[in-house]
Amino acid sequence: MINIDTFAYNSKLKDRDPMEKLLFTFVTLSVCLWANSIIISLTVLLIMTWSTIYGGGIPRTVYFKLLLIPMVFLIFGVLAVAIEITPQPYEFLGSISFFNFYLGVSKAGLITATQLFFRALGAVSCLYYLSLNTPMIDVMSALRKLRCPKLLVEMMSLIYRFIFIFITTAETMIIAQSSRLGYSRFMSGYRSLSLLISSIFIRSYQQADKIYTSLESRGYDGELNVLEKSKGYISTGYLKVLGINVFLVILTFII
Amino acid sequence: MKQDKAFLILSLTLILILQPKSAYGMHIMEGFLPPIWSITWGLMALPFVIHGFFSLKKTIDEAPKLKLLIAMAGAFAFLLSALKIPSITGSSSHPTGTGLGAILFGPTIMSVLGMIVLIFQALLLGHGGLTTLGANTFSMAVVGPFVAYAVYVIIRKADGPQWLGVFLAAALGNLSTYTMTSIQLALAFPAELGGFIASLTKFMSIFALTQIPLSISEGILTVLVIKSIASYANVVIPSIQNIDEGA
Repeated sequence: MINIDTFAYNSKLKDRDPMEKLLFTFVTLSVCLWANSIIISLTVLLIMTWSTIYGGGIPRTVYFKLLLIPMVFLIFGVLAVAIEITPQPYEFLGSISFFNFYLGVSKAGLITATQLFFRALGAVSCLYYLSLNTPMIDVMSALRKLRCPKLLVEMMSLIYRFIFIFITTAETMIIAQSSRLGYSRFMSGYRSLSLLISSIFIRSYQQADKIYTSLESRGYDGELNVLEKSKGYISTGYLKVLGINVFLVILTFII
Repeated sequence: MKQDKAFLILSLTLILILQPKSAYGMHIMEGFLPPIWSITWGLMALPFVIHGFFSLKKTIDEAPKLKLLIAMAGAFAFLLSALKIPSITGSSSHPTGTGLGAILFGPTIMSVLGMIVLIFQALLLGHGGLTTLGANTFSMAVVGPFVAYAVYVIIRKADGPQWLGVFLAAALGNLSTYTMTSIQLALAFPAELGGFIASLTKFMSIFALTQIPLSISEGILTVLVIKSIASYANVVIPSIQNIDEGA
């Protein structure tokens, strides 16, 4: 389920300065949203896909499967933007009458929807560039450097740790339950799932207690300090970020 | 007439094909909102998150032991959103967990936890996004939990049965999240004809297909979960005051 995390730890870009990757993601993302043009979005999609697949060494099939995740929302959302519903006919490019209503697509709606489709796709590729090439630990160390409140970052790192404990527990339990036909019927599925959730909840309560006791016996005073591996800082990396985005901005003005 | 039929068949097939993954439709995807709305919803969510953060800080300063417990709660909320609810059609949907979280931990803390969970969902699962984080936080971590909590408290105050309170809290928490998401989308993309209202109708009716059955199943599930937690509550977890034993 958490494939993205595994790929991030195996990425060839893993040891790059996380700040550079964050900057690249956010600046390109902003340019993509601001430009709102099909060509810029496609360029962003191309650059980010290329950086992830060739730069990061993420398998192509995995990448394209991941791009399908937001597709359901995207298709529904874009259809809702494109299709207008009116009681009387309007200057549509094409329309269907449906009971007493007209469902149609107008020219402006079509343009907005197409722009939206590609813009969102470009933006998703930026998100995946970050998440497929940056281990979460690095994201959090970058947040720490950006003066994010200490408690918030610590909360994030604790939650991140616990997520994996829970998922392993839940997976084991689901296998145990389904091997006893726990999910074979609709109602038993509900019962099994509710048992699963409540026992994970209770177990996590007890586990939190135990973890606190063990931390306290090792001198815990409210802070978990860890040594960070220093990441290679390459100034050409930042120049690349700057170069690509200046190029994108200029391209926006030319078109 | 023929076109009517074709449209019906097309929409039915679409529903059947898209159903299995539909529950993730709750999160507005990366890049879907124009920049101005991304910023606006970020600013709308910010006061709630800040307030939640300070109340979290206060809680932890008073009882440091709770820090790990709250982190566990956050991971629990993440796990909930990754589980599948079995449903009649054989497809599956995912609970939001906002109702359960709000009942167990209170809505203020849920706003911070919800935001963290949304960040992880975007980065680890590809659901939601970074630029839409503000909008998603507002609908899923602010509106949902507050509605759920209010419903629960009102029903308990009125001496309603616990199961009814939990069911309505979870179901309405889910529904209010979906309504808020539709409002956000409609504001960002008003229809050419009829503006905001027409657009809202469109988004609401599209998401209603998936969200109304989902909110009912989440309600049922949450009742079952609270019931079995309550049977342990007094033994194991003395700190949960919101649940009565043996409900």
